[in-house]
Amino acid sequence: MNKIAAKLPSAGQDSFVRKYLMRWEAILFLILIIVNVFNAIISPYYNFTGILGATRDFMDKTFIVFPMAMVILIGEIDISVAATVALSSVMMGVTYNAGNGVPMVVAILIGIGTATLCGFINGLVLTKFKELSPMIVTLATQTMYRGLAYVILEDQAAGSFPGWFQYFGWGSIGPVPFILICFVVCAVIFTLIINKTKFGRRIYAIGNNREASRFSGIKVEKTRLIIYTLVGFMAGITAIFLTSRMSSTRPNIALMYELDIISMVVLGGISTSGGKGRISGAIISIFIVGLLKYGLGLVNISSQVLMIIIGLLLVISVMTPNVAGKFKEARRQRMLHDKLSIQQK
Amino acid sequence: MSEIVLELKGITKTFPGVKALDRVHFQLKSGQIHGLMGENGAGKSTFIKVITGVHREDEGEIYLDGKKIEIKNPKDAIALGIAAIYQHVTCFPDLSVTENIFMGHEELSKTGIIKWKNMHSKAEDLLKKLGSSLDPRTQMGALSVAQQQIIEIAKALSTNARIIIMDEPTAALTNRECEELYRITEQLRDEGKSIIFISHRFEDLYRICSHVTVFRDAKYIGDWPVAGLTNSQLINAMVGRELSEMYPPALSKPQPDKVFEVKNLSRTGYFANVSFDVKKGEIVSLTGLVGAGRSEVCQAIFGIDKYESGEIWLEDKKIEINDPKEAMGHGIGYLPEDRQKQGLLLAWSIEKNITLANLDLYGKGIFVDEEQESEVANRLAKLVNIKCQGVDDLASSLSGGNQQKIIVAKLLTSDLKLIIMDEPTKGVDVGAKHQIYQIMRELARDGYGILMVSSEMPEVLGMSDRVIVMHEGRITLITDANTTQEQLLEAAVTKKTEMRGE
Repeated sequence: MNKIAAKLPSAGQDSFVRKYLMRWEAILFLILIIVNVFNAIISPYYNFTGILGATRDFMDKTFIVFPMAMVILIGEIDISVAATVALSSVMMGVTYNAGNGVPMVVAILIGIGTATLCGFINGLVLTKFKELSPMIVTLATQTMYRGLAYVILEDQAAGSFPGWFQYFGWGSIGPVPFILICFVVCAVIFTLIINKTKFGRRIYAIGNNREASRFSGIKVEKTRLIIYTLVGFMAGITAIFLTSRMSSTRPNIALMYELDIISMVVLGGISTSGGKGRISGAIISIFIVGLLKYGLGLVNISSQVLMIIIGLLLVISVMTPNVAGKFKEARRQRMLHDKLSIQQK
Repeated sequence: MSEIVLELKGITKTFPGVKALDRVHFQLKSGQIHGLMGENGAGKSTFIKVITGVHREDEGEIYLDGKKIEIKNPKDAIALGIAAIYQHVTCFPDLSVTENIFMGHEELSKTGIIKWKNMHSKAEDLLKKLGSSLDPRTQMGALSVAQQQIIEIAKALSTNARIIIMDEPTAALTNRECEELYRITEQLRDEGKSIIFISHRFEDLYRICSHVTVFRDAKYIGDWPVAGLTNSQLINAMVGRELSEMYPPALSKPQPDKVFEVKNLSRTGYFANVSFDVKKGEIVSLTGLVGAGRSEVCQAIFGIDKYESGEIWLEDKKIEINDPKEAMGHGIGYLPEDRQKQGLLLAWSIEKNITLANLDLYGKGIFVDEEQESEVANRLAKLVNIKCQGVDDLASSLSGGNQQKIIVAKLLTSDLKLIIMDEPTKGVDVGAKHQIYQIMRELARDGYGILMVSSEMPEVLGMSDRVIVMHEGRITLITDANTTQEQLLEAAVTKKTEMRGE
């Protein structure tokens, strides 16, 4: 019996093709190339400098993609992120304009602190009341956070930030926008955390089998709390870049950001049932969505068309693992069957 | 000779990594109570699931009344008059007895409305026939296990089943309740039903079965009339070797110093005043009926659940345990009962499974040192003798016994003093069982204290230095290994407190 088991195909012994080329990330990369070629064909203005500049427009929300990937990797979801960004941004604006000459640095810190606190509260509620679903809890808190933003700023705008604050959204080092550099730094850090650290390993373990993780001595609740707090913190970072780019803030900014962010993660091949997928996929899908939007914008195709395309990609990305899984299982069964019939002869 | 009702020929069923049935045969005659015996993992449950259409056989043929049939799904089986009563009663506790009996085949009026009155009175009739005076409007959850079983039988009758399969029906019953079940079973036989009776217990077999078929290691071993069959013949057929060969001899004697002790451990509703100790190099069994609170005690010791009062001592030091990580830090390891749900990440490699329990070991900082990790995994995999091509193999590709060895290897990454093993041989084949016993002996020799939770009396008797029996959350007996199965069973069903051999 064991001999049969040992000869079955497993992940460890797959061929090069299976290991690298059949991966979802490879397909995503192909899609990214297609998007670029497509953009270049439809618009004469699509060039490298343009792409660099375009990153300013879609990079701000992507800081949340990384911790959101963690949340989805443990099989959960956080839909309060957009509201957290709004509350954080509003707090920043209100603090700076309070009239007591509060320095901008303090306002920024308060913004980040607010966002981190929002994430921490989500985590606290979810870990203290384990039976509650993250979807419902963050739905409730997102209403709260957004509501709070409205109460504080009352549907006005707050702005007139100091000139240097604009650097976050508009500054660049050479031809490269500052925000892109920050993004790359974050991408490297989070990729390392998720792929190489003990913490990252534990995230995958929890997503794979929460109970077995508990029996293995992993502090599941503590890990969850850290992840949700991290989501809040990164929402604070997003709030800085967004506020800087808009040079003012309103309670209704970052509306629907949560959907974009979750879409990018899921399109990246990270399974909503947890434990499966790679951060590299999410990073590629950030560029797919961003560049597609930019390219279509260049030739004045409405954003509704973009939504259709992204929706289509999402459906494909959600279906692919299932279809691939069925092929794999069929292949397995076939091999097993062959083995058995050989033995019987 | 009466006619053959159901016949299965050459049934084979394979699951990923395990051959659950290997060309087995079975013949059931009408009006017969046919025993089906075999150890855990022998393939009995899979066999039943093939007959009831839960699983499709990979190969083989099924004949009903001499006609070849196909059972594609549970609905087919019911239509053919086959019904099963499972070991763990699968009822809807919040619904009434009537609703449970008629679940899936409710009686409807022409307009599609449920005819409650009809159904209640039919349910009442069915129950009366079985000698029960239960009100069919009672909530299912309020009944005892024995009563629920009677409801399940009534449910089988309500579908006009001619072939009734009982999967270990006596496992959770007291002696009196067993007698009642025997009576009902015989009554059904006298009415011309054919019954497949699966059990571990020899008493059941000798008491009501006329014929027995034995499976071992997913294979058909043989079938015999029960009359004239001796105990040892049966054991031989089931185990395939003498009992003494099954359980390897102790490699050392327990040492006098206690490695672990609990005093008056209690948790309301689960267990109360549990006190015992484990010595260095000793194998202590914790046994009792399902639901006696054994696993709950162990999970409290390991920090999965909180205990409310009492003390835990580890070598002369009183310790507090709030979560598994702390327990492991103190030197307590736990091999969970449900291997696939609690023990393993099936989609992960052997290596990553082994190292998950103690990640801090590999590399000092926040990063995992993968070289060190693979070195430890390879060493431990060899130590416990996991059969695989390499530690990169997925845990899901291994057989039950080898999966269990992964978890043992995982435990060994921590510096342990006490190892709790919750049903360590559940669902593994006989060969792997033997190896797990061997590993337990070696661990004991190396000075670990071992606390084994087990429901299997032969295993308890064959492996333990001491035995603790629990009943309804309390310890009813602590004894040395020189005891009999009868004595243990008695302690498992009575509340009397008795100490011996201490």
